[in-house]
Amino acid sequence: MTDSNDLTNRAPTADESRAPIELIRDLESTSGYWAAVWTMCTLPDVHLICDAPIGCFNLVATAVPDYTDAIPHIHNITPSVMREQEVTMLGTAGAVRRTVEALRQLHPDKTLIVVSTAESEMISSDHSDWLSKLDPPVPFFWSQSLEGDEWEGRDRALLWLWNRFGRERAVPLSADDAQMVNIIGPTYGCFNSPSDLHEVKRLIEGAGGKVNLVYPFEATLKDTPRLSRGAVNVVMYREFGEALAKELGRPYLFAPIGIRETTEFIQQLGDLLGARAQADAFIAREKQTTLAPLWDLWRGPQGDWFPTTEFAVVAGRSYTEGLVRLLADELGMKLHFASGRPRRPGEMDNIQIRETLHKKQPAFLFGSLNEKIYLTEAQAKATHFIPAAFPGAVVRRALGTPFMGYSGVVYIVQEIVNRYYDLVFNFLPFDNVAAAGQPKEVANPLTAASRLVWSEAARAQLDRHLEGIPWISRISASRELRAQVEVYAVRHNLREVTPDTVEQALAATAAQR
Amino acid sequence: MSTITVPEGSPITPDLIETRAPSKLPAGHSVSPDHNLTPQTMCPAFGSLRVLTRIDGVQTAMVTDTGCLYGLTFVTHFYAARKSIAAPAFGTKELVAGNVAEAAIASCIEASKMPGTKLVAAISLCVAETAGLTEEMLPKQINGVDVILVRVPAYAIHSHPEAKDVAINALLKRYAPARAEVAEDGVERPLTYDGSNEEEEALRRKVIMLGEVFPADPISVDAVLKRLGSGLAATLPSRNLDDYKLARRVGAIAAVHPFYGGSVATLRAAGVPIISGAPVGPEASYNWIKAVAAALKLDADLAERVAVEERDKCKAVINQFSLNGRVMVCGYEGNELLYARLLVEAGAEVPYISTSIQKSLYTAADEAWLKARGTREIVYQKTLEQDVRALDRYKPDLVLGTTPLSAEAKQRGIPGMYYTNMLSVRPLFLSAGLAGTIQLIRDALERAPRYEWMREFFEGPRPPESAPAPINTMD
Repeated sequence: MTDSNDLTNRAPTADESRAPIELIRDLESTSGYWAAVWTMCTLPDVHLICDAPIGCFNLVATAVPDYTDAIPHIHNITPSVMREQEVTMLGTAGAVRRTVEALRQLHPDKTLIVVSTAESEMISSDHSDWLSKLDPPVPFFWSQSLEGDEWEGRDRALLWLWNRFGRERAVPLSADDAQMVNIIGPTYGCFNSPSDLHEVKRLIEGAGGKVNLVYPFEATLKDTPRLSRGAVNVVMYREFGEALAKELGRPYLFAPIGIRETTEFIQQLGDLLGARAQADAFIAREKQTTLAPLWDLWRGPQGDWFPTTEFAVVAGRSYTEGLVRLLADELGMKLHFASGRPRRPGEMDNIQIRETLHKKQPAFLFGSLNEKIYLTEAQAKATHFIPAAFPGAVVRRALGTPFMGYSGVVYIVQEIVNRYYDLVFNFLPFDNVAAAGQPKEVANPLTAASRLVWSEAARAQLDRHLEGIPWISRISASRELRAQVEVYAVRHNLREVTPDTVEQALAATAAQR
Repeated sequence: MSTITVPEGSPITPDLIETRAPSKLPAGHSVSPDHNLTPQTMCPAFGSLRVLTRIDGVQTAMVTDTGCLYGLTFVTHFYAARKSIAAPAFGTKELVAGNVAEAAIASCIEASKMPGTKLVAAISLCVAETAGLTEEMLPKQINGVDVILVRVPAYAIHSHPEAKDVAINALLKRYAPARAEVAEDGVERPLTYDGSNEEEEALRRKVIMLGEVFPADPISVDAVLKRLGSGLAATLPSRNLDDYKLARRVGAIAAVHPFYGGSVATLRAAGVPIISGAPVGPEASYNWIKAVAAALKLDADLAERVAVEERDKCKAVINQFSLNGRVMVCGYEGNELLYARLLVEAGAEVPYISTSIQKSLYTAADEAWLKARGTREIVYQKTLEQDVRALDRYKPDLVLGTTPLSAEAKQRGIPGMYYTNMLSVRPLFLSAGLAGTIQLIRDALERAPRYEWMREFFEGPRPPESAPAPINTMD
């Protein structure tokens, strides 16, 4: 048996001076292989062959998109079904070749693309050479699944599609195209993209543009050269897509979140399209219509409540920065913490986020399922979790739940206020009608608690416990914690509540849970 | 026809490539009429993760690449447990450095820090297996917490039910090792048994059920066993780690699902009698009760009385709610044959059954029973294409399938349900399990007009009916 101390506290041996091992909890961004599948399979005239064991196929094509994208399965992907013999002896060329042959017969009108996976890269299955000698050749995409992350992978897949299927057939911009705008970004596995895309299209048209191509989500592979007909490119996400926009060489803007950024987006797009007057008129109209609820809520009692409320965000780069801009900078809510994906230096990883949430929880947490689990671990009942990122099972296919644009501002604020109403409702006293007929088991010990004396130190101790609880819930929480301590004191026949009593009482209550 | 060029120096022996003229799919087909391309199973490794993450006090450390880790974390958090999962970053950098074992150990240490942890399961997946992570590289304990290695590369284990067996077997090998002695009476007993301990003696009269079942099933099974003077000591997979330690101390193991071959071998080596089959429907319930009584050497007359009574109760349920319709049972949970038996006994026609697990000794009895009662095809380690062709051939009234197959059925206006989500979440065993399942199936059959209405709404009126495809059982 190995000595446990040796394992946890030992000094590194000579050959361990290499990079320290990085630990992950509840990984939130997937690999280059997934990025390739989720990008390329949105193109209906493509059929992908993944050089994969059955598990890599099932997870990316069925098990996960069932619950992220609300589709039964991705239909245009087939695995090579790598088995033990392929891994240990044969290599996967035979399996890939059989799959190519079968799919050629089944889908003669589709472009087949073979994509590598972590396991095929592990055994160095590079098929580019022999696939290129087929007639017609089959493109091979090395997804770099053992390096980089989902975001780099998405960028690489988009660039590869353009370089391989678009660039050579690109047409020069004509005078007819002056209003044309591409939207680059949405694929499978992009949280909330149908609503955001709907809103971004609305903003583009409001600013005087016409949507040319939504790439790849509403395009075919054959459409790829048409990317060159966009006078302006709108990149949906800061986490990926910019590389393709740069390569296209036209001006580009990021899709906006928040009041100011949305306004600037419409103005800049108006300038780029030579339609500034139309853009300004659109903004003026929006203030009277789409955005009017924000102005009303701001002037109403709801607006007073924003500065007293704390929130945190763990999401993609666009959502993280956008929510901080809108909620903290513009509405004045308090930011507990924010951590974007891909993570930048100084931003918390999941291990740190977990520790932080175990200690103190905000009133609102925008995040993925991972943060929801950490809240569950902390038994944080007073925190509202609002889905804002994958991973997590959530249907976001309705068009009315945007985070982007003016509609997004109103939707997010509406969500927060409604959850606030829920919070208020849940803390109001009520009579339990169903239980009313049953005899009370014990006399209420709190009637005896009025005789208890609280020391100053004990009060201070209780306040310290309250600091970990979101502000909005603190009034009811203070009542609850105080009751727990007093019930404990009465049951133990104490006259005075000391700091020790507080600790013992709260520990005893926690243990009962 | 395109030509295939095999790259020079390739270790591949060129297979004979069939030359067929390129053919468009016939109308109504969405998959290949000629090929079996898409095996149907969850990622096999998920079976192990599901079993392990659900045990109290067990934390998992997954050694794998990021795509795999993301997907398996996702499905574990959806289907198994709200439990944080630790892992090492594991890509080219770490592989080049060759520190697979260090990475695995570091994540085991992180996992062991969770308060209340009794066991850390290091899950070794495709790339870690290929990199050569072995049991000897891991400590048996870290900070007083047990560590086991569970090896589930998807390329070698072909279905997720079979990966459940891998996980349970790893636990049994650790907590119920195969050590036994032959006593003077010729009966093999584990070393812990001295014949004098009352608690041990009581345990020797009980049964452990091996098979993931709905929580109500063990309750009804226990009630029947108690009438025989026995009882259920535990059900594996269990949420309680201690239940695995009981496995070699009970009188018999009832392996109610057919895919626990590894665990069964381990327990058999420990000298524990094994009962195969499950109490589904009148006939199997009768046989199962008698088999348990025989294995435990219980009062045979009493067993006959209890078994007959249970059979009559099952028949009464069936008389009350019988089924009428043609059902395809095509899940990937490994217990499809049991459900099919139940449906057949309740009056349904089940011409086609398919599953993800392999054919084995433990599927033989159910297969023979079903084939004697009208089932024409049973496909093991099936593919989506085989299932869809069966959909063409058999024109069922209801499909209990995988998600792609159920979607295909609904697209044709046929009622379909995802087997995993809908059938694995209700009781099945004995008379108590019958009623709920039969009613679910009856309701689904009666909903058929809605499926047709929805199909027509989205897809428009059906084209005129072409000649029905001849039934072909050559698959």
